[in-house]
Amino acid sequence: MPPAITVDRVSQLFAGSNGAPDATALDDISLDINRGEFVCLLGPSGCGKSTLLNIIGGLIAPTSGGVTVGETPVRGPLPRDVAFVFQESTLLPWYTVLENFRVSLEFQDRKTGWREHSLAALSSVGMEGFANFYPSALSIGMKQRINMARGIALDTGILLMDEPFAALDEQTRLVLGEDLSVLLARTGKTIVFVTHSLAEAVLLADRIVVMTARPGKVKAIIEVDEPHPRSPDFMLQPRFSEVRNQCYELLRDEIRTTVDAMREARDARAG
Amino acid sequence: MLAQANAQLRLTSIVRAIQLGVVVILFGGWVLITSSHAVNPLFLPGPLAVAGALAHLTVTKAFWGAVGVTAFTTAVAYAIAVTAGIVMGFFIGRSPTLTAAYRPVLAGMFAIPITLFFPLFVVMFGLGPGSKIAFGALYGFFPVVLNTIAGFAGVEPLFLRSARSQGATRIQALRHIFVPGAWPVVLSGLRIGFFITFASVLGGETLSSASGVGHAIAHEADLLDSPPMFAWIVIVLVASVALNLTLSFIEKRAVRS
Amino acid sequence: MRSAVRPASPTVIRWWTIAGLIVLWEVAARWFGDPAFVAPPSAVLRALVPTMFGDPKLTQALGMALIEMVTAFVLAVIAGATIGILIGLTTIGRRSLFPFVLLLFGLPQVALLPLFILMFGLGPASRVAFGFSHGVLPIIVTTVSGMRAVSPLLLSSARSMGASQAQVLRHIIFPTMVASVFTGLRLAMSLTLLGVILAELFVSSNGIGNYTQIFAETFKPASLYALILVLAVTAVVLNELVGLVESHFSRWKQM
Repeated sequence: MPPAITVDRVSQLFAGSNGAPDATALDDISLDINRGEFVCLLGPSGCGKSTLLNIIGGLIAPTSGGVTVGETPVRGPLPRDVAFVFQESTLLPWYTVLENFRVSLEFQDRKTGWREHSLAALSSVGMEGFANFYPSALSIGMKQRINMARGIALDTGILLMDEPFAALDEQTRLVLGEDLSVLLARTGKTIVFVTHSLAEAVLLADRIVVMTARPGKVKAIIEVDEPHPRSPDFMLQPRFSEVRNQCYELLRDEIRTTVDAMREARDARAG
Repeated sequence: MLAQANAQLRLTSIVRAIQLGVVVILFGGWVLITSSHAVNPLFLPGPLAVAGALAHLTVTKAFWGAVGVTAFTTAVAYAIAVTAGIVMGFFIGRSPTLTAAYRPVLAGMFAIPITLFFPLFVVMFGLGPGSKIAFGALYGFFPVVLNTIAGFAGVEPLFLRSARSQGATRIQALRHIFVPGAWPVVLSGLRIGFFITFASVLGGETLSSASGVGHAIAHEADLLDSPPMFAWIVIVLVASVALNLTLSFIEKRAVRS
Repeated sequence: MRSAVRPASPTVIRWWTIAGLIVLWEVAARWFGDPAFVAPPSAVLRALVPTMFGDPKLTQALGMALIEMVTAFVLAVIAGATIGILIGLTTIGRRSLFPFVLLLFGLPQVALLPLFILMFGLGPASRVAFGFSHGVLPIIVTTVSGMRAVSPLLLSSARSMGASQAQVLRHIIFPTMVASVFTGLRLAMSLTLLGVILAELFVSSNGIGNYTQIFAETFKPASLYALILVLAVTAVVLNELVGLVESHFSRWKQM
């Protein structure tokens, strides 16, 4: 069975602005992601993990290399195969929650049975009571739950999530993380999840792809051998701390490099 | 590559080119339309006629007389508006109760076209500058008082509490927190107030007056004498732009310090 | 320790102040005011109905003024939104043309009032034109500003779900634009009213301006005040209506 996603020697160059030199965001990344796997992209700020996610999902074309989803090379968005969940709510503010679902499914070209389908997805995150609310009436946590529900409603094999819980408080993160794990166990979706939280990565992922500071390369891939659905109790096990420490060791130098680079850039601007 | 920098430069030059093009087309259009007599010269005199009228106008005593009246009227009206606005705004803005009580009233009054009351001012103060001073002062008062209230009411209570906890006296709190905190908003109100005062003085002079720039424009229209009317309009427009740029500049400098 | 005294309620303060001022006006007008120029509120209220309905020509002028205001406003919104969309559609269009709009916005249009009368005559056309010219600019400004604010994140998200250009236009760009047109509506109404009133007052041979002049010259201050009061209330009502429309269409924004 071919991997769900194959990343083949992807590099990404960003043209420098106003005379600055070009920046290499990603340097020759190769990666296989299997069906039903939960993979975390973990790395310091600016290491290109979000860029990689966008390339996988077909929102950005890589400077070199390519991505294949299943058997298909990625040349643009794949609405039937890949769903995104972004860091901020991308619910359209001028539509109610239910209207948002209708429109999203319309984008995907799914018109029949949208109502039941949407309400079912909302129930799976416990938000069906808010179907007729406008997004502005909901808290950030509620909006992100609904964002996730929409990702589910789109019924794709792959879910790409870009730091979806970053704006939430710790407790909500744990609850939603658990929901995600349950979802994975139930549906067998493939999930690629970007984060810079070590604990979150270890708690959720089957494999953690640790990335270097810019230019982003794959530093190491750590396996987390624990079946889904996982509960937050996993955090109490010694194995959890071991893996977490392992990730920290790998990341420590990368974080230092990133902070030093930021300091340099700031001093250069001030001087 | 310098691709990004080049793209920026190209964008700016295209923008400038289009803007220049618009000005050229408008001016060229003006020349063409008027020289081909496609439009009644009463509605749009030619650039030469306007330039000529402009030249003739600016050397007459009447011209400077009118400008003087308008300038004087605007200055006095503005002074009254600013004084009343800042004093009232300060006392109201300092107190949350008074702010809650009076701010909606003042905002509501400002929402009514105050121009409606101009005939009353003429009835009470006559055709002279007095009615325009009163009218301009009233109109300009509102943005000043509303912005002053907003400025003082908007000073972060957290800053005040922090200063008091450090032992600041009321005067010190005023000087170091209230005034600097409110200053940018108040300043913006002063700028808006100026233009509203200026425009309402002009308006008043146009509607009912025996002197001033507004009256001059209306007078030339009465005489069906377009070139001098257009000359006056050009003067007013240029003066407005110049004043706007100057005041914006002053505001930016004042806020930065 | 200060005794806990409840500060007076703002609403109470407000209404007592207003009541006090009205009483002051009544007393001052009756005792000190020259009846040729000054009228107390009681006289104004008594003159209200006879003024509005006593002279059919005046009623007609009031009605005409109302029609002029509404017409100018509607035209300003349609033209302003169209022009604003055209300007704001492209980055180049916006960068090159928007500065001109802002420049026009800051000018005292009242200097052009006599010119408008020359061009459009002494009748309703010049009033509508002048009102239009005042109201169209804020709509253009808010429409263009609003178009800038189309969220790139929403666009990415829609693309990822397979939205076509037409769908993006309909579900994301268009609602953003409509929202921005609506933020300018109230200001446009205020300015349109200003333009129409200025033009009406300027022309003393017919319309409202005729009557303000008559009442002033025949020393009928109560009628003059009453006329102004009617117009002021009309203005407030129109503003509130626009405000209602705006909040209805913006109810998704509120909280």
